[in-house]
Amino acid sequence: MQLFIIVLLVGSWIFIAGYFGIFTFAHVALYGVGAYAAVLFVGEFGVPPLLSILIAGVAAMLFCLPIAYPVLRLKGAYVGMVTLAYAEIIYRGTIILRDVTGGPTGYTNFSPLFGGDQLLMYYFVVSVVVLLMIVQYGFLVNRFGLVARAIRESEEAAEMLGNNVPRYKLSGFVIGSAIAGVAGALQAYTLLIISPPMLQLSQMIEIMAMGIIGGPRMIGGAVFGGVAVFGLSEMLRDVGEVRLIIWGALLVIVTLFFPNGLAGSDFGIRSRVQELFDR
Amino acid sequence: MVSLELIIQQIVNGVFFGGQLALIAVGLTLIWGVARVLNFSHGALFMIGGFVGFFALKISGSILVAILSSIVVVFVVGWIIEYALIEPLRDREEFDISSMVITLGFAIFIENTILVEIGSSRRAFPQITNAAWEVAGISVNAQRLLIFLISVVALSLLFLVITRTKLGLAIRAVSQDSETALLMGVRPKRIYAITFGVSAALAGLAGVLLAPLFAIYPSVGWYPFLLAFIVVMVGGLGSVRGTLIAAIGLAVIRSISMIWVASETAMIILFVIMIVILVATPDGIGGWISG
Repeated sequence: MQLFIIVLLVGSWIFIAGYFGIFTFAHVALYGVGAYAAVLFVGEFGVPPLLSILIAGVAAMLFCLPIAYPVLRLKGAYVGMVTLAYAEIIYRGTIILRDVTGGPTGYTNFSPLFGGDQLLMYYFVVSVVVLLMIVQYGFLVNRFGLVARAIRESEEAAEMLGNNVPRYKLSGFVIGSAIAGVAGALQAYTLLIISPPMLQLSQMIEIMAMGIIGGPRMIGGAVFGGVAVFGLSEMLRDVGEVRLIIWGALLVIVTLFFPNGLAGSDFGIRSRVQELFDR
Repeated sequence: MVSLELIIQQIVNGVFFGGQLALIAVGLTLIWGVARVLNFSHGALFMIGGFVGFFALKISGSILVAILSSIVVVFVVGWIIEYALIEPLRDREEFDISSMVITLGFAIFIENTILVEIGSSRRAFPQITNAAWEVAGISVNAQRLLIFLISVVALSLLFLVITRTKLGLAIRAVSQDSETALLMGVRPKRIYAITFGVSAALAGLAGVLLAPLFAIYPSVGWYPFLLAFIVVMVGGLGSVRGTLIAAIGLAVIRSISMIWVASETAMIILFVIMIVILVATPDGIGGWISG
């Protein structure tokens, strides 16, 4: 289940960063916002749990709006910087607002979905993830996706061809963030606890590493990166920090030698993977 | 009730802290200004400086040797990062993002390697001096004053090198237009490497100087990095003067706000200031100063 949620999260980051060229660091924070929104609405206001997953998406969407303006105006590394700052504000906010969020110890005052039926929960998570991945894919294979890639290559050229660039970027950012929010809610219901470390910069870096290692320019890279890196870190669970060493090294190696990520690079599988995903 | 004395005390503390912050932030801004690299391993370099200083002090027993060896070792590390990691990316279209990612990867790698090899325990670094004075009701810690003075000296030296020497001229030329500089017989690759080394050495110096205040552990660099990051954004990426002003200004704001709020909240205030300034003027304060 975890793996599916992570693939969804990585996928939505790729959706924003890989297709629209918006290199956001706020993604995991917005995922955390979704998680907190869902469980707080259930725990404090008694909203039905299934509805809370929608609320999570909306909350992440609303929380991405304050940062949307600078994100639309700035470029490249500058986007990274403001979103990083915003993510830190949200992260520290969850610690400070301890009356609401439970502070550093986290929030557990909510009940599991489907009365704790693990199998039902599993099917639910898998279907939501698959559905949302298809939705993102659907956005990207038509005109919307083409414009997105045009924007990534050259905003000026896309603008000149008569596309409303800010509108496209805004929708890309908002859609991707909303999906991150839903992923957050799913994660909260899977773990049954949510605490600030879930929003930390190091988590963001893990997600980014997966996206970059998998292949930042194709939504299928999320599956590849998620499975490969998550699988690897599960295998290496016993050796603890060594897995972070490997991630760091992978990040360096992939950036140096495989600019399109592993899934996008020239192995035998490349053409087939690309036919499948990168149309 | 907040007394005037407390506020003055916090301003003094803020200025001292600003000096330390400037030492870290100027390196960060320098390498962006010259080589367009947003160096996410700056915090890791700070940490390496601390560790090298720690072991050098243990072996030699001299604080001066510790400081010098930190500067030298971290300079070399910066030099290697530039040649091994940054240089191969330079022709990439998305250079600013790739270089950001690769330095981040390097930081994670080195931090966790040290974590595994040496362990995560905090190592206390001996205090340089315990003296403290009371001036008109304001307490002044001798060690912090000394650190502040060393920062000022180091930054003044850097400033002199950049404005008065041939090397500084070459650095400024490369930062403005590396291709024309190449035509004039400057080798940009070498200048990038030297600048990266100097920027790293400043982080290393900060690492060993601040070690008595922070203690040393593998992830020690992230907090100073985040603070320096804010300073650099507010001061204007690439503007040394803007960075100096922002370092002192933000440090004082932080100190004063900590009279009323916790340090977590003070950090949020700084982040908000940074976002507002970046939105208002992407070039930061440095953009206003230079025109």
